[in-house]
Amino acid sequence: MNLTVNGVAHEVESGPLTSLLDVLREELAITSPKAGCEQGGCGACTVLVDGVARRSCLTPVASVQGTEITTVEGLGSPSDLSPLQQAFTHHYAAQCGFCTSGMMLAAQAYIDGGGSDGHEAIQEAIAGHVCRCTGYVKIIDAIAAVARGDEFDLTVTASSAGMVNLGGAV
Amino acid sequence: MKAVGARLPRYDGVAHVTGRTVFVDDVRVPGTLWVKALRSPVHHADITRLDTSAAETMKGVHAVVTWQDVPLLEYGHLSALGIPADEPLLAKDEVRYKGQPIAIVAAEDEETAMAAVAAMKLDLQEKPALFDVRKAFDADAPVVHQWGNWYPHFEAEMDRRQIRKGDIDRAFADADVIVQGVYRPAAIEHVPVETQSCQVVPEANGRLTIYSCTQALYFSLGVVAAHLQVPLNRLKVVGGTVGGGFGGKVDTATETMCCLLAQKSGRPVRWRWTREEEFLCSSTRAPWHMEIADAVTEDGWILGRKMLTLHDSGAYARFSPYGLTKHSFHHTGAYTIPNLHFDGYVVFTNRVPTTAMRGFGVTSVSFATETHVSRIAEVLGVDPWEIRLKNANRIGDTSPNGVAYADPSTVPVVKALADGVGAKLAPNLQAMTPAAREGDLLPEHLVAQIGNPEDH
Amino acid sequence: MTQATEVLVPTSPDEAAAAFGDGSGVTVIGGGTIVMPEITYGRLKVGKALLLGKAGLSGVSRNGGTVTIGAATPIADLVDLPPPLGPCAANVADGEIRAQATLGGNVCAGPGPDAPRGDLQGPLLALDATARSTGPGGERSEPLESFLDDRAGRLLLDVSFGEPAAGAFAALDYPHTHEYTVLAVSGARGADGAVRLAATGLADHARTLSGDPDAAASEVRLGDDALASGWYRQQVLPVLVRRVLADLEEAR
Repeated sequence: MNLTVNGVAHEVESGPLTSLLDVLREELAITSPKAGCEQGGCGACTVLVDGVARRSCLTPVASVQGTEITTVEGLGSPSDLSPLQQAFTHHYAAQCGFCTSGMMLAAQAYIDGGGSDGHEAIQEAIAGHVCRCTGYVKIIDAIAAVARGDEFDLTVTASSAGMVNLGGAV
Repeated sequence: MKAVGARLPRYDGVAHVTGRTVFVDDVRVPGTLWVKALRSPVHHADITRLDTSAAETMKGVHAVVTWQDVPLLEYGHLSALGIPADEPLLAKDEVRYKGQPIAIVAAEDEETAMAAVAAMKLDLQEKPALFDVRKAFDADAPVVHQWGNWYPHFEAEMDRRQIRKGDIDRAFADADVIVQGVYRPAAIEHVPVETQSCQVVPEANGRLTIYSCTQALYFSLGVVAAHLQVPLNRLKVVGGTVGGGFGGKVDTATETMCCLLAQKSGRPVRWRWTREEEFLCSSTRAPWHMEIADAVTEDGWILGRKMLTLHDSGAYARFSPYGLTKHSFHHTGAYTIPNLHFDGYVVFTNRVPTTAMRGFGVTSVSFATETHVSRIAEVLGVDPWEIRLKNANRIGDTSPNGVAYADPSTVPVVKALADGVGAKLAPNLQAMTPAAREGDLLPEHLVAQIGNPEDH
Repeated sequence: MTQATEVLVPTSPDEAAAAFGDGSGVTVIGGGTIVMPEITYGRLKVGKALLLGKAGLSGVSRNGGTVTIGAATPIADLVDLPPPLGPCAANVADGEIRAQATLGGNVCAGPGPDAPRGDLQGPLLALDATARSTGPGGERSEPLESFLDDRAGRLLLDVSFGEPAAGAFAALDYPHTHEYTVLAVSGARGADGAVRLAATGLADHARTLSGDPDAAASEVRLGDDALASGWYRQQVLPVLVRRVLADLEEAR
């Protein structure tokens, strides 16, 4: 089976009913989609499948054969942040960070679909995503900012200190 | 206060938004095994047989660990503070809550680990279970714990946390009205989006590297070392990424068991609880049962409080004696009540053990006290703002455990709340500050207390 | 993870019917939203899986006054339909789930472990829908209620119904996007003027109601589950029936 993830083509060996989440995390070691509940309830595993936000834990890999998958690693890099990544940084929209990947991909699909900066529409777009730190206000602010086309001065919020992940790396 | 309101870099902000943060379950070490647990399917039972042999010989299974493999089976979360241990790391001959771990396995993949658990043979003799703290003291209540149904090891081997302050009998004799209430906040699951997870890597030098989502790294270090009976320098704990904790990741839920499996198999192991395990087996905020009787005067002074608290500890003590102690110190909430008679018990039930959650022991009593103060205002027909401000903690007042307040915040907070909801305060109340009591706000029953905490 | 699983991905309705055969040993996967957690948690071992995503069973079509909806149509595609179906579809989970979950999966979902499922059964019963399915003995068309009573071994192909003159939907709003409906009542007035009501959130699959609010609770089985008690549902059901009747009256 073939998958393209963040522009890179992969040959996948996992069984056909393996969830896309497991394929990404366990076989391809792309770990930004999180296994928060593995039953579609939390949204932490959401990725883009051909641009559409989908729960990867509910998606058998056989059903997305040949598609283009985007995870948050594919939106931009620490040295080249996408507008949404800039907005999340500027508005401090990531707290513990565990829901952030899924939340951002739902937001990216919303922005790509021409979503407005209206808070109700944004709430509807992220309705399937749980932020247990309850940081929704900042998350919605960040998404609205991108929908409006705001520009961000990140000289402080994304300073070099922010580039280093101090925890858990191998 | 340079940081308040200022834009500051978050050390992990950019890593979060680019997917670079490596949470515990994201650590990738070749050859890592999956961990699963055999858990009690019932609330209370004697274990009559545990046979893990079929799991041990299964293809792809590298290690099975039961209570027999644990060097020090019982080590309490508060053992380092002198609180005796009561909870086995893995159940030995009795299970006391549904979901209690009995055996753990490390296997090549998740599917094999699940199959190995399914192959373990467990025979149980089910026993009556206790879920209601109010029934724990009944003569015919099921006995749920080796120490009986409530924790007996407070200082001087007392079976309760008790506070006696002032002259409670006189307060109740002098009262115009006695206002009573019972408050019972329920258990709350923390629901971190990151479930309990841990990875342990056995290093070539014999040490174990523990990737842990703990909120209390040094706690976990001590707990693991004690169970394993190894010096601290044999363990390296890597923390710092917590995918939500809220108090639920203070318990050392996974680390010790993963270490035992890593030692036995010689392989790295990884354990990520399912969402179901997180809901059914992880500790929760405790349910509380609080009975309050306040002796009050017609004009809204609270002269005395009698209170009984039953803290539902679940099946084991864990941090509950600490939580109840905090609760007792704060049991008058934001108010000063000079005469107190408080008894609090840590009660065992056949529920999941309970633990810290945001304001451990204190939020429960704040809920009870605030509701109760409003109830008093309703009973007396007194303005609820007035009763709060009159009885507010003031400089020089003393807490239930005799600590003099140097900078109590009740007055400014209540005034800000009134302002926030547009309530109009009487001029004398609007003029109040936290300053030491005087004049109308120094009633006779508080005179002795001011500035002289030793009296109480 | 190793799975000795045969996966069939038919590319036409006929291929799907042939691959399904008599249904024995076949796990049908529409969007995957119900089946995948069962597989992941090890509760369901799949020998042969039938993925319907490319089987040409998706889409909403109109022919005269008849609406036909393919079983593999995503619930998201139903959201803009008139009541009762549209509002009911919009009430299912959240946008991402709706885009993935299918009508067939929802209609054929058995009761969940903790709560009733099958939200869309209610409006389709109110619309007096016909279910077309395949399985042992070949293709079969029947009223939805009889299909729901005896759907084991059947593969739902599509549902069809006459466009109603008016429709209404009332549900107990549950403040969480992922929960199944606690209780919902759907109503439709057919082109012939007949009013039909049905309830979802029962101890059973959805059932039709007589339309008498006071009798409603005795016409169906209301259970206790993780979402609500039977007692609570008993209190609320007459209220929802009255709301639907009032909305239908207003639409006259």
